[in-house]
Amino acid sequence: MATMIPYIIKRLLYFIPTLLLVAFLVFFLVHLIPGDPVVVMLGENASPENVVSIRKSMGLDRPLPVQFTLWVGNVLQGDFGTSIQTKRPVIQSIKERFPVTIILTTLALLFSLILSLPSGIFAAIYQNTKKDYLFMIGTLLGVSLPGFWLGLMALLVFSVHIGWFPSIGFVPMWEDFWEGLRYMILPASTLGLFMAAVVARMTRSSMLEVLRLEYVTHARAKGLSEWKVITKHALKNAFGPALTTIGLQYGRLLGGAVVTETVFSLPGLGKYIVVAIYARDYPVVQGCILFIALIYVVINLVVDLLYSYFDPRIEYQ
Amino acid sequence: MAWRRLFEHRLGMIGLVVILGNILLAILAPWIASDPLKVDVANREAFPSREFFFGTDEYGRDIFSRVIYGTRISLYISLLSVAVASIFGVAIGAVAGYYGGLTDNILMRFMDAIMSFPAILLAIGIMAVLGGHLFNVVIALGFVYIPRFARIIRGSVLSLKEKGFVEASLAMGNSDLIIIWRHILPNCTAPLIVQATVSLAYAILAEASLSFLGLGAPPPAPSWGNILSDARNFMLDAPWMTVFPGIAITLAVLGFNLFGDALRDVLDPRLK
Repeated sequence: MATMIPYIIKRLLYFIPTLLLVAFLVFFLVHLIPGDPVVVMLGENASPENVVSIRKSMGLDRPLPVQFTLWVGNVLQGDFGTSIQTKRPVIQSIKERFPVTIILTTLALLFSLILSLPSGIFAAIYQNTKKDYLFMIGTLLGVSLPGFWLGLMALLVFSVHIGWFPSIGFVPMWEDFWEGLRYMILPASTLGLFMAAVVARMTRSSMLEVLRLEYVTHARAKGLSEWKVITKHALKNAFGPALTTIGLQYGRLLGGAVVTETVFSLPGLGKYIVVAIYARDYPVVQGCILFIALIYVVINLVVDLLYSYFDPRIEYQ
Repeated sequence: MAWRRLFEHRLGMIGLVVILGNILLAILAPWIASDPLKVDVANREAFPSREFFFGTDEYGRDIFSRVIYGTRISLYISLLSVAVASIFGVAIGAVAGYYGGLTDNILMRFMDAIMSFPAILLAIGIMAVLGGHLFNVVIALGFVYIPRFARIIRGSVLSLKEKGFVEASLAMGNSDLIIIWRHILPNCTAPLIVQATVSLAYAILAEASLSFLGLGAPPPAPSWGNILSDARNFMLDAPWMTVFPGIAITLAVLGFNLFGDALRDVLDPRLK
């Protein structure tokens, strides 16, 4: 563990330029707007005084490098901009809405792991049998079905016709756990299916690779039961690659949440972004996108570090 | 050799047939379908029938025709955006891998930054500022997919750079451009083709999501996402509006996934 500390510091330093570039990309978005961004945001009928004051408050009247420096400085102090529509700090709205997105994506993650890890291991054990082919067809469908369409179909079938689940709306799980869960089952499972298919494939192939190794043959030769061989020996080494895939796929969940929250009318960050886009409230769009990107970057950093912890063969250099 | 193995790959061939079928539908749309924008007030929200295979929407527009024309939009955007991503990605990856050092560092940090965003989220951000237009969707998706190509090409270039034929070409006094173009890139085609095919599947899904959110080709363009976004308001009365475009998306994506998997099996077994 102690040998890892220089590695961790190095990784963190290495991340600073990436983070700055991420901030720059988000910052630059507003400057891609064709025409005067302030006029676009306020509409053609905005009074000239209003235009001038918004331009000033967003700092758009200063030279670009100054704007960028100020903007990064603000973000470092937790100021993610101010909504033009509501005049509220964006970070305030993020704090209110992000819990919904976190719950949605975490449940989707759990759903996909529960589905993918056992089925991937199972398919590897039964490689090239009918069960394995069924598994492969299942994963193919999983990566080909559009999640938001599945969401719509699930609403149609399970909410409208069968009535098992409430259709749209949201009950916070921290207020009423079971009722809240009932509202999240369809969104989380339709969001998580794609990831389940990807992780399941990854688990299967890394499991297959490990099962071919000599130490597994050795464990079998010792007379260990197949169950013991797999759970005690193979699984640990097969988990590393799957872990990296999980980290990368979590970003897909965060992105997909934007669409899922729109389908199910969940009051999360994604829905907030879409509403802000329609209202041309660009500071909100910028603040939220930057926030999600930062979360994603941090998660992948943690996954990288965990990976090196799980797999001591990685050199800390 | 590789060709024969590809033709013997049953699932891959099914995928190829689906892809070719989609392309044919897109080309022959005017002969197969009627006008996708034609409003027919007498037949609003009509149930699927012999006259309207997939039913009609709230304006009486024929869903079948809209889905067939949707194939055009979907293929147009996915092919162009993957072309944009691969051209820039190959150029950036080749330069970064070949020259190494500071050039490599700067270019690849920039690629890392783009990959730090969930792809669809960055595309949403770009569409939010550029505005809904087919061409803008191509730019947005093309941009977010650049790093995938850059990374793969850079990796291949790094390993090829050390090979004897590259050194020989260098010794003959060939310029860097010629070495990259004639000797290095032709050896990168296998992973490039695999990545491009898989990216087409992603691009179709992403385009559908964008237009579902109202950030793709503006209505009344008959893109699959637009039809679904419309269908959401009529789920009780006209569920067929929801069902058919989704099947079309799934089939198109499935085709590219099946074919992409087959290509990977045949061209680059290591990637499996």
